[in-house]
Formats: sequence, C-alpha cells, structure tokens
Amino acid sequence: MVKQNTILKKVIFIILLFLLLSFVLMPFITMLSSSFKPDREQGAFPPTILPDDPTIAHYKGVLNPEIFPFLMYFKNSLIVAFLSAGIGVVISIFGSYSFARLEYTGRAVIQRGVLLVYMFGGVLLVIPLFQMVTKLGLFDTRTSLIITYIVQTLPVSLYMLGNYFRTIPESIEEAAIIDGCSRLEVIYRIVIPLSTPAIVSVFIYAFMIAWNEYLFASVFINSSSLRTLPIGLNQLFYTQHYIWGRMMAASILTAIPVIILFLSIERFITSGLTFGGVKE
Amino acid sequence: MQIKTDRDARLGYWLILPTVIAVSGLIFYPIVYNLWLSLQEVNMNPVQPNTFVGLKHFTDVLTDSDFWRSFKTSLIFTSTTVVGTTLLGLGTALLLNRDFPGRSVIRGVILLPYVTPVISAVFGWKYLFDPVFGMANYFLVDIIHLLPQHINWIESPAYAIYAVIIFNVWKNFPFAFLMILAELQSISANLYEAAEVDGASIWQQFRYITLPELKFVIGALVILRTIWNFYKFSEVYLLSSSVEVLPVYIYEKAFASYDFGQAAAISAILFVFVLGFIMFYVRKVLEW
Repeated sequence: MVKQNTILKKVIFIILLFLLLSFVLMPFITMLSSSFKPDREQGAFPPTILPDDPTIAHYKGVLNPEIFPFLMYFKNSLIVAFLSAGIGVVISIFGSYSFARLEYTGRAVIQRGVLLVYMFGGVLLVIPLFQMVTKLGLFDTRTSLIITYIVQTLPVSLYMLGNYFRTIPESIEEAAIIDGCSRLEVIYRIVIPLSTPAIVSVFIYAFMIAWNEYLFASVFINSSSLRTLPIGLNQLFYTQHYIWGRMMAASILTAIPVIILFLSIERFITSGLTFGGVKE
Repeated sequence: MQIKTDRDARLGYWLILPTVIAVSGLIFYPIVYNLWLSLQEVNMNPVQPNTFVGLKHFTDVLTDSDFWRSFKTSLIFTSTTVVGTTLLGLGTALLLNRDFPGRSVIRGVILLPYVTPVISAVFGWKYLFDPVFGMANYFLVDIIHLLPQHINWIESPAYAIYAVIIFNVWKNFPFAFLMILAELQSISANLYEAAEVDGASIWQQFRYITLPELKFVIGALVILRTIWNFYKFSEVYLLSSSVEVLPVYIYEKAFASYDFGQAAAISAILFVFVLGFIMFYVRKVLEW
C-alpha cells in the first residue's frame, strides 16, 4: 500500500516535471530546430520538432555582412555592454565600500535614495532623458547609452557588492591599516582580490542588462552603424528580407553569449541573490 | 576595534560621490524634469523653446478614452502576470524542493527564460504563435481541440493580450521560483517532522508551516513584480505592439506622434498610480 503510494507520487512528479520543462523549453527547441530547417520546411504543418533535412545556411546568411550586418550589431552591443559594465563596476566598488565600511553622516539617506531607484522604471525616464541627451549633443552616440546603462545597473551592483564586502572579516582590513596601508590600498590590495567572484558576477549582471536593453537603444540611436543587436534584429523582422530560419539563427547567436555568461555565474547569483538583488 | 575617523568619513564621501552624481543626474533630475515637461507644449526641435500650458495635458489625458482603454489594458496585464508568475513560481519551487537526480541541472534550465535576451525569446514565441504553422495553434486546435480554429495570436487585438501574458509569465516566473525555493530551503525540517508525528496532512503542513514562512517573500515578490510589470515595455512591445499597455502608449505618444508634453503627463500619472499602489499595499496588505 505504502509502496504503491510512493510509486504514484513518483509518476505524478515526473508528469508535472515533464509539463513544466516542455513549457520552459518549447521556445528554445523551436528556435534551435527552425534555425536548422531549410526554407521549404519552415511552414510545414503539423510543425516538425526535428528538422528533416538540417542545414546551416541560415547561420551562414546571418554571418554574411552583405546580407545582414549581424557582426556589426554584435560589435556595437559588445562595446556598449563592456564599457557600461566596466565603468559601472568601478563606480560600485567604490560606492559599496563606502556603504559597507566607512561611517559618515548622511550615509543611510544616500543608501535609501539609491534604493528608491527601484520605483522608477525605464519608461518614466525615457522622455526626459531623450530631451537631455539631445540638448547635450549626445543623441546618436554610444555615450548616451553607456551612461544610461551604468545608472540603471548601479543600485543592484551596489547592493550585491556591499553585501559581499560585509562578509570580509574586518580584522584583516584593520591589520593592514595598522601595518601602514591607507584605506585605498586596503581596497586595492585586500578587498578587490578577496571579492573577485562577486565583482565578476556584478560585471556579468551589468553586461547582460546592457546587452538586452531595447527601449533606450531604440530612441537614442539613429545611425545604422551604431545600432545594438536588439534594435538590429527587430528591424530585420520588419523588412522584406526576413526569413524565419535566419531570424531564429540570429536570435540564437544573440542569446548564446548571455546564456554562457549566466551559466558561469549561476552558482553565485542563485546563492547571493536575496530579496531586492535584481532590478529589471 | 572600531576604526572611525574624520579621514574615513571624508573618504566615504569621495567614494560615494560618483554614485550620487550619476543617480541624481540621470534618475532624480529627469523625474523632476519630466514633471516640468508635462506642463509644456514641447517643441519637436529640442533646441527651440517650449510653451508653458499648465495642466492642459493632464486634463486632456484624463478625458481621453484612449488613455483609459490603455490604463485598463495595463491593469489586466499586470494583475494577471503578477498572479501567474507568483503561482507558477510557487508551484515550481514546491515541486523541485526535494532531492532527485539532475536537480541542479533542471534548476539551471528553468532559469533560462529569465536570462535569455527579450529579443531572442520574442522571436521564438512569435514562431510558436504563428497563425498558420505555429505549435500553439497545432496543440490547442488540432491535438486537444480546445479551440475551434486557428487564431492569429500575435496580431489580433483580442488575442494578443493572451500571448503577451503567457510570454511574460514564461519569462518571469523563474525569478519567483528562485526566491521562493531559497526560502523553502531555509525552513527547518524539524517543523515538518513534528507536524507529521502530530498527524498533520500534507495540506495542513503546507497551510500552517510553509505558507506562513513564505509570507514575506511572496509579499515582496508581488510588490516588485507589480512595479516592474506596470513599467514593462520591451516584453510587450516587441511581441505585439497591438497590446497598448501604458508604457507602449507613452512610447508611441512620444516617439511616433512626437507629443512629448502629453507623453510626459501620462508618465507622471503612471508614476503617481504606482506610488499610490505601493503605499496602499505596504500599509494594508503587508502591514509593515
């Protein structure tokens, strides 16, 4: 009786798990499979899960600059994401050390002010920022995107790094100060080396946000040569040159860097990500 | 030993200065500037001066039926996705909160929707929702016969909202799952053992042990998801621009009709509404 019960439970568990995984993975399976399907198979009905006659023509098409400037968009995304994440990490190392270890009047107020950023979604900022960017002559420059992304990711970076810095035993820092190190040397020689995993994770988080961002990139940038991947891909979809297979191949190639980066820090993110640890 | 000196305090200010400048210059100033813009007829050419029109945009917006339709769409979209992501996240966390082979791999797989770029995921779903050969229609119409005929999920205004809701739940439930799972794992097993000795059923254990422990994390998830989804733009707009939630409405007012003043007024209204919701929720529901 008891045994039957556990078998039944196992079967229900497996069925539920299967349903869940199908829901989660269906779009990925579709994307992967149709990126390898030749054009004539795209509209097959009923839809095939595995391509009958796989081809890599779509990937070749995407990577051919004469058909689609995928590599240029990729490069633009890389520059913007890399610079905004890099600068953001430097600012947040200083900021979160200040929050975690130094005492001064007004610290609590500033900390709360930074957290307030949670209440302002990108859509509330896009109109005033667009006006400001235009007035400052930054319209259609990468700079406009980079500074916007830095600020968007700062609150979370400060939060994650601050939490990590607080786990470093204060006695190590004090010993170094007694030995004659200045605070800045402490940050540079002790805090940064001890926090490498956290710093890398924060960098990757900021990189992913910048890589995925659509709203600001769609209004701050005008020249085709500066477009980032989300804008470029969306435009490809609305031209007559789009074919499903090529769209899917481009989508996969856009997602792969981010997924690889995420998997490399998954352990840290999932353990260090407590309430409030992310902002969308 | 507490190290606390004037020099430390001064260094503290210097180190936080870049953050303060960035956040005030690019978040707080723009919010105030947005309010200012909402009182102006904003010139399409940013170098030209604007004309002050007072509260005209606000009265225009609040008497515009398009605005209220969009407001209603936002309410439907946000409420359904908040419930959907939270419940699916809770269910998934309960399902996976046990030992079985491959558990950490499956946990990683479930996080994939959350980390995949919106633009990539959107095209995967557009393909699934294709009116002619999409898997969604094939499954719902031809296999389980739930619907009588193929539906144009993405482009028909009546159905696109469903597609957008399903997509949003798919994309964001992993976040709820992760948070709830972390909380579940911190509940002491002793509590369940004691309850079992006392003869509590699975449901009673869930109702009297698990749920109270999850109250805080679920409360936090609901408020965060509500804020985020009220402001959600790309996930809606890129899948189907015919679902006019308020952010999409603002975007089109500003960057398709170039009516920046009115768009700024709508943003201000949206912000006040979200703020009001947060205050109500924190006081009445969470009782903080």
